[in-house]
Amino acid sequence: METVIRALVLYVFLLIIFRVSGKRTLYEATVFDFVLLLIIAETAEQALVGEDHSIMSGFVMIITLLLADISLSLLKQKFKHFGKVLDGVPVIILDDGKLLHDRLKKVRVDEADILESARELQGLQRLDQIKYAILEKDGKITIIPKKEE
Amino acid sequence: MKKHRGELEIDEDIQLESANWKVQRFAWVIMALVVVAALLGFTGDGGIAKLQHLKAGDAAQGLEVEYERFLRRTAPAEIKVNLAPSTDNSLTELHFNKKFYEDIEVDNIVPEPSEVYTHEQGITYRFTTANQPFSVTFYLTPKGIGSLPLHIATDKKKVAITQFIYP
Repeated sequence: METVIRALVLYVFLLIIFRVSGKRTLYEATVFDFVLLLIIAETAEQALVGEDHSIMSGFVMIITLLLADISLSLLKQKFKHFGKVLDGVPVIILDDGKLLHDRLKKVRVDEADILESARELQGLQRLDQIKYAILEKDGKITIIPKKEE
Repeated sequence: MKKHRGELEIDEDIQLESANWKVQRFAWVIMALVVVAALLGFTGDGGIAKLQHLKAGDAAQGLEVEYERFLRRTAPAEIKVNLAPSTDNSLTELHFNKKFYEDIEVDNIVPEPSEVYTHEQGITYRFTTANQPFSVTFYLTPKGIGSLPLHIATDKKKVAITQFIYP
């Protein structure tokens, strides 16, 4: 029973903590994010397993986590609003060629991040070539270029 | 699907997102508070300047207990008891209530007691003394969770402490 509780508590905790850390926290692993992820994974592993290294505990843990994940995806499918709250929604951060500075600040994205995505996804060189930039719910920035005149 | 400027199909919900940003900012404050609480020792494992390292009783009266207010389950812990020797006997007795051995695993006691026995009220350790004040350290591993009221007593003096074990 303890294994199940451990798994669920940690699952919910990690879900909440990453949700409130913001979308960009673990996206586009820079060296720091990578180290952060490694350390968190290691810490979570210890809290999950504790002193019980048995195979049975591992089975129960994995099944519990997968079941939690499946339940959550079912809930998200059934209650759309719940899904939005849980995963967030895409946010337009560059609208019709204009940067929306207040939103950029809120989502901790800057011009350089948008330009990086523009180069990577569309091969664009300048900010004025972009029509829309959208911060997707997984933290990725997508770019829609202006049409060539 | 909603259309932004009549061309971009996007499920934008800026109201929800701003609410979300507020929650995020609030959560960051909570996270900072957790770190501060941890530094001050409220989450166990000591803290700056040993703030949660408490003393109960009085060594002059023959019984003083040094302990941590907050413990963590399965993390090593210590309780130090300062004792005066008993006047009429070469053995000094130290009694603990039942909770002590029910919720805590005693790994090691320094010095080792010459006798240990359990009874209805709890557990009693008897130490050989050299007729001068001495201290006993209990090396422990907490097994329970939650509040842990302990009664520690010699034949003359009694001290009650409450520890808290985090899961």
